[in-house]
Amino acid sequence: MAAAIGEVSWFCCGTAWGPCGTTAHGACGTCNSGSRQHAWPNASTACFNITRPDLCGFGFSQRGCGFVHATTNLCNGAVVRTSIADCGPNTHLFCGERTCCGSACGTARIIDLTPSAYSAIASLSTGLRPCSVDVG
Amino acid sequence: MVPGTDLSRRGVLSAAVLGTAASLVGAGAIGSLAPAAAFGAPAVLPGEPDPNFAEGRVTSIDGSLIRATGSDGTLHRIQTTSATSFWKLTPSTIESVATGDGFYARGLRMPDGSLAADAVWVNIVSLDAHVATLRGPVARANAARANAARANAAGADAAGGVRADGGQVHLDHRGSRIVGHVVPGVSAAVYNGAPAVNDLSLVRVGTHVHVIGAWHPDTNEMDIATLYTAV
Repeated sequence: MAAAIGEVSWFCCGTAWGPCGTTAHGACGTCNSGSRQHAWPNASTACFNITRPDLCGFGFSQRGCGFVHATTNLCNGAVVRTSIADCGPNTHLFCGERTCCGSACGTARIIDLTPSAYSAIASLSTGLRPCSVDVG
Repeated sequence: MVPGTDLSRRGVLSAAVLGTAASLVGAGAIGSLAPAAAFGAPAVLPGEPDPNFAEGRVTSIDGSLIRATGSDGTLHRIQTTSATSFWKLTPSTIESVATGDGFYARGLRMPDGSLAADAVWVNIVSLDAHVATLRGPVARANAARANAARANAAGADAAGGVRADGGQVHLDHRGSRIVGHVVPGVSAAVYNGAPAVNDLSLVRVGTHVHVIGAWHPDTNEMDIATLYTAV
């Protein structure tokens, strides 16, 4: 696939503290906040039917658990390689949501990283960053 | 750069933790505070646990050393330095860290198993949620803004100065209710990707939001740092 431009966020999964305590190990059963993993909106047909990235104009290929993507933070060029461990984000709920760093912008949520992965390319307190996502 | 010195963040942190640095400059003086700039650490394989990352609950604080228990039961020793950046709703210091706090930390795993921390995020949460209701000042400001909009539509003068100074945003997240406190002067909203503002009065019940906040340990409450939403 050609690199997709959008927004990256982070989410917790696996055994965790706080509101994350209600989460489990994700759709793949392997997700952990401390591992280099991500949620992908087309991890399965059932997943796609929930997240509907197509409604925001994205034609993502279906990729299963363990598939590797490379996410680049467009604010600083940092790259992290992660494997699919969950379904998400709910892209269609965020069509048109836009995040920019100067002239580098991303529109709509296309990938969620674990805290371990996100903190390798940005501070967790930033919450959202414009990004590009490519096959890893 | 003086020959023979290592001014990379990895080198500085290592020296600081190992006690070989005579003094330590502020983190900002040697580069980005973003953990991304921190280390030329060996690549971590996709899907694998990151050895330079830790999470858990704080069990004790002894000077600059934080002891903690990971959610999987792992015991952590987090060594902080004057170059470590802390976040607890706002940029903070180790003095703000308390026993029982949750945390994420990124740094460099030392030979003794401790983590030399470059950044520690205390009680930070990142949630996709649905706005269930508004309470207090943020609700009143929201209603005033709606009334002003209706008055405008009717050709009357709009009421100005509506501003959400405190109150609560009740959020539904994965089937659980979370109370988000609006902290005057701190909580910010990002509407449609525009620069953040302290006025949350445009937040609408029924919309989807993304929230970065600081959890109140052992409760379903948090202080809102930044709320992202469309209007």
